[in-house]
Amino acid sequence: MSTTRLQEVLIAFGKGKQTDIATAQGAAALWRFSKLNGALANPRLATENDADEYGKGHEFPTQTFKTSWDVGGTLEKHLGAEIAAWAMCFGLGKPVKSGSNPNFTYTVTPLLPANGDLAELPYFSFVEQIRPGAGVVLDRQAVGCAVESWQISIGSGPGRANSKISVEFVGSGKVIDSATGITMPAAQTEKLLPAASLTLSINGVDYVTSKNIVSLETGWKNNIRMDSGFFPGSGFQSAGDGASGAIRGRLEFGNRQGNLRFVARFDNGSTEYTKLKAQTTGTAVINLQFDVNNSLQVTWQKVSFSAVEIAETDQILTVAVDCLPMYDTSNGVIQAVAKCNVDGICQ
Amino acid sequence: METVWMLPPFGVGEPKEVETTPAVLVPLLVAGWSQCEPPTTKEEVTTDVHD
Repeated sequence: MSTTRLQEVLIAFGKGKQTDIATAQGAAALWRFSKLNGALANPRLATENDADEYGKGHEFPTQTFKTSWDVGGTLEKHLGAEIAAWAMCFGLGKPVKSGSNPNFTYTVTPLLPANGDLAELPYFSFVEQIRPGAGVVLDRQAVGCAVESWQISIGSGPGRANSKISVEFVGSGKVIDSATGITMPAAQTEKLLPAASLTLSINGVDYVTSKNIVSLETGWKNNIRMDSGFFPGSGFQSAGDGASGAIRGRLEFGNRQGNLRFVARFDNGSTEYTKLKAQTTGTAVINLQFDVNNSLQVTWQKVSFSAVEIAETDQILTVAVDCLPMYDTSNGVIQAVAKCNVDGICQ
Repeated sequence: METVWMLPPFGVGEPKEVETTPAVLVPLLVAGWSQCEPPTTKEEVTTDVHD
């Protein structure tokens, strides 16, 4: 009997955005990547039953009802220019595309409904396949997905594992669970943004020039309001079939949060604790580059230090700093400038 | 100088062409401007009959 190795799983997802939450993307709109984690985007069906209802003569359930569908997953990857651009565009929500081949630039900020922006992030489809075709093991497509969070981790060391991104996504619940008809595109060529390319300035200190940076994590969480996606009229798994289970008709972000934490060597003249006490504010600019056409620059417009802990890393005195990203009147909370060779991301 | 076209907040007003530098784009994005297609010119072109 044959077995199926998880390494066979192929994933692809929308490079551009869906026209609306319920309209699945075809193969031409998808791009294919590898990933590091084995978790699959399993559809989950919530059911209820009639156990508590009167008139049956007993307390046992006699029938079940499909209530709703859920789907979501996490992508863990080495950080490349392409996935970085995608995560920024879909995770923050408001890109401006400029440039031309081979240098497309995506300048991205978060959506601000108070200034006329939508409260819904751009949607994409997510496809998983294992041996599609005659010997199919898995062939399914989650429709109407949105990025719940992204997290970038930069560490010390030469390997690819020292520059990673994790993207969590959630879905409307709409799933094509067999025979998607999608032929997987060729795998996307990726340009790694290695840790060794980092330039970093936080609150007035260049931590790379001083050779003090040890590690860094930064990210964004949309806290999408999952429950409010089910509203009267939000729709069903099978259109027009009220017994097929409800799906979400919208995925609105909730109270969004940015995060930035870093560990640096601590020595005479280190200013982190002083800045914590003074609640000094400044920008944090994180830049990673493959080449001039493939890079990511994340700028937190205004941060203060919320926690400073002095400890050790490999017996070298270090300081772990938690930063609080704040809103700047002119420039907002965060901007990302992502460059890559790929046109049409989130368009 | 590379440029893109931006639509004012709430879609009210005329689009304008701006530089693509973050220093120009980001304050506009935060203020509610969003990228749009270049406006199509509506000027009528007539052939010069004296040519």
